[in-house]
Amino acid sequence: MSLILTGDEESLRDSVRRFVADRTPLTAVRELIAGGEPYDTGIWKQLSAQLGVAGLAIPEGYGGAGAGHAAMAVALQELGAGLVPSPLLASAVLAAGALLALDDMAAREALLPGIASGEAVATLALTGPAGAGPGVRATGAEGSARLSGEVAPVLNGAQASALLIPAAGPDGLAVYLVDGAAGGLTRSPLTTADPTRALARITLADTPARALAGNAASALSTAADLANLALAAEQCGAMAACLAMTTEYAKLRVAFGQPIGAFQGVKHRLADMETAWELGHAALRAAARSADESPADFPRDAAAARVLISGPYFTAAADTIELHGGIGFTWEHDAHLYYKNALSGKVLLGAPGDQLDRLASELGM
Amino acid sequence: MAADVPVRESADQFRARARAWLEANAPRRSRAGGGGEVGSGAGLAGQRAFQAKLYDAGFAGITWPAEYGGQGLTNAEQIAFSQEARNFSLPVGAFVIGLGMPGPTLLECGSEEQKQRYLRPMLRGEEIWCQLFSEPGAGSDVASLQTSAVMDGDTWVLNGQKVWTSGAQYSELGAVLARTDPAQPKHRGISMFIVDMHAPGVTVRPLRVATGSAPFNEVFFDNVRLGADALIGERNRGWDAAVVMLRSERLTIGTLTAGRDNPLGFSKLRELAGQLDRLGDPAIRRRLAELYARQSAAGLFGRMLREEAMSGRMPGARGSVAKLAGAEVGTFSADVAADVLGDAVAGYDTPELAAVLTAIVAVPGGAIAGGTNEIQRNIIGERVLGLAKDPGVDRLTPFNQLKVGTQKRQGAS
Repeated sequence: MSLILTGDEESLRDSVRRFVADRTPLTAVRELIAGGEPYDTGIWKQLSAQLGVAGLAIPEGYGGAGAGHAAMAVALQELGAGLVPSPLLASAVLAAGALLALDDMAAREALLPGIASGEAVATLALTGPAGAGPGVRATGAEGSARLSGEVAPVLNGAQASALLIPAAGPDGLAVYLVDGAAGGLTRSPLTTADPTRALARITLADTPARALAGNAASALSTAADLANLALAAEQCGAMAACLAMTTEYAKLRVAFGQPIGAFQGVKHRLADMETAWELGHAALRAAARSADESPADFPRDAAAARVLISGPYFTAAADTIELHGGIGFTWEHDAHLYYKNALSGKVLLGAPGDQLDRLASELGM
Repeated sequence: MAADVPVRESADQFRARARAWLEANAPRRSRAGGGGEVGSGAGLAGQRAFQAKLYDAGFAGITWPAEYGGQGLTNAEQIAFSQEARNFSLPVGAFVIGLGMPGPTLLECGSEEQKQRYLRPMLRGEEIWCQLFSEPGAGSDVASLQTSAVMDGDTWVLNGQKVWTSGAQYSELGAVLARTDPAQPKHRGISMFIVDMHAPGVTVRPLRVATGSAPFNEVFFDNVRLGADALIGERNRGWDAAVVMLRSERLTIGTLTAGRDNPLGFSKLRELAGQLDRLGDPAIRRRLAELYARQSAAGLFGRMLREEAMSGRMPGARGSVAKLAGAEVGTFSADVAADVLGDAVAGYDTPELAAVLTAIVAVPGGAIAGGTNEIQRNIIGERVLGLAKDPGVDRLTPFNQLKVGTQKRQGAS
């Protein structure tokens, strides 16, 4: 098991990186945001159908590439660096991860091929590190259950054609499948701190649903680990972008007769950013490897990676604004996009304190 | 000896042979620690004997050329051996400096005669080396050193004072930096020499540090005579060799894996928190979890650097990232340890707590040894990120016109 990238992973990284630079640079992301769209459906189609990114972690039997979670992490790192809005995390990581961790063959066969090809978008209403949204209750028999209550924030909740919703039912916690067109389902988009991350409040009023077979608690726990890996990967890429952008500027911008990077007040903060990134990146690589190769260590390693990236990325994004000076605080500069992304990504699916609790319990404390 | 093995073995075969040899010859790493205690008389003889056994078995100087006593193998074998050795406590502490710093420098910059004369005895444990760089007035700014070497006929005369010299009290030889041309700017008038630590005029005194122990020395040179053949590399080009040596030092320090018996390691502090009944406190649990994350990431980063080196990407200045990260994790560990101990930090009466306290007191040294955190940040900024160099008002001025250390200008009050 090596921490550095394999040859296959390097090619995947290069092709996703090229795709981001050519097809969805930050100028295009800005246009999309200005138009109020949650993501560019054309880009999503190319990303999933041409690059095959949506199916990376889905087995070949269900239409995916079966390349594994480490490969997905490599792609997410590049997409995160470009702040590319897409339903990848909601659909191909969370929903697919939960389906594969549950035992409902019918649901897998119905949903996974569409998720893998990108033709369908699914989501999982996972709102914290432990999973269960206590706000939703299920009544009725398993095949024809009814859900009532509300859950938020749900990633791509307003766009998903299939929603997986954890709820407390007659037999305890279960994950329910709700069709996006079901009666009594209201999906209200939330105003998001990060304009590249679409979130919604899901309200259910006697909404028809089907309970999925399998151990819900364990499947949600696995989904939370996959979320930690995925967010850590995106943030690792985004943090690298902040570091590169600020380093570049510190070489160009001259003040008091020299490039500002010559001043230790600037240089040392960039050195700290680099050091924090290297540590977070090493932890990310370890978590990506254990996701595929040593599942028993994965919950611990994924939480550790999240702890080492989410906080430091936020600091790096704030420093990116500050080290750029006034220009970094303008609407036209990209720094605020990273800052908002870091702010939101730090707390989504388990804030740093929750991650430390999760890590502590994984360490047997 | 390995030189007799006719067919080149694979890295896996080498690893298996190393493991078998270690099982048969080296003490296992114990929970109680110890083993590599440096400097005590009996321990030193044992270390020399063990290093000689390593050499005879073909595990010394794994990547060094065979003509100088090395094994002529690659990084892959070196890494395999280091990984296998991690489970053992090898009594070779006295040789870490020589083999890690002066040795590679001699290989790179030394004359053929020097390589023939010095490398094999170094590998066999017959001659222990120390490194004499820092001075009371030249720490972070090592290039402002004032120890001088002046030509007198066909010998050099060495005068000055060095400090923070590990192992000087038992070393046979040292690699010393001295100023050979004070009229040149500071980096350009320095040369590196080999000094016989038993030569007349060399005085070694122990240096007691904040923890109360004396792991370092002060070394005084008083008209010490060095032969012309003592010069390593070119005259006045010693700084280049020093940079090579300092870089390996940072990497060595930065990627040292903290053993299981490190009193500030996660496992030890967690055990201690259990004994002190502190694990019920959610704040303590979070602190310990973060400690685990940060300590394991520092280890993982070291592993990444080794894997990159094996695949051909040398760490270069990124060794400074490892050094800075290690020092900062150390500071954080001391902080967590103090939280776990609570008011036992102030007063304690068990040997276990005493060990933790000693480790806490030792932590600030980690942010200085091998270059302070601030120096590492400069190196990371300039050599890893490529930022503009410090303006360096002293870079072009002849050394003898500079103010250095805490000296007062002549004539100033």
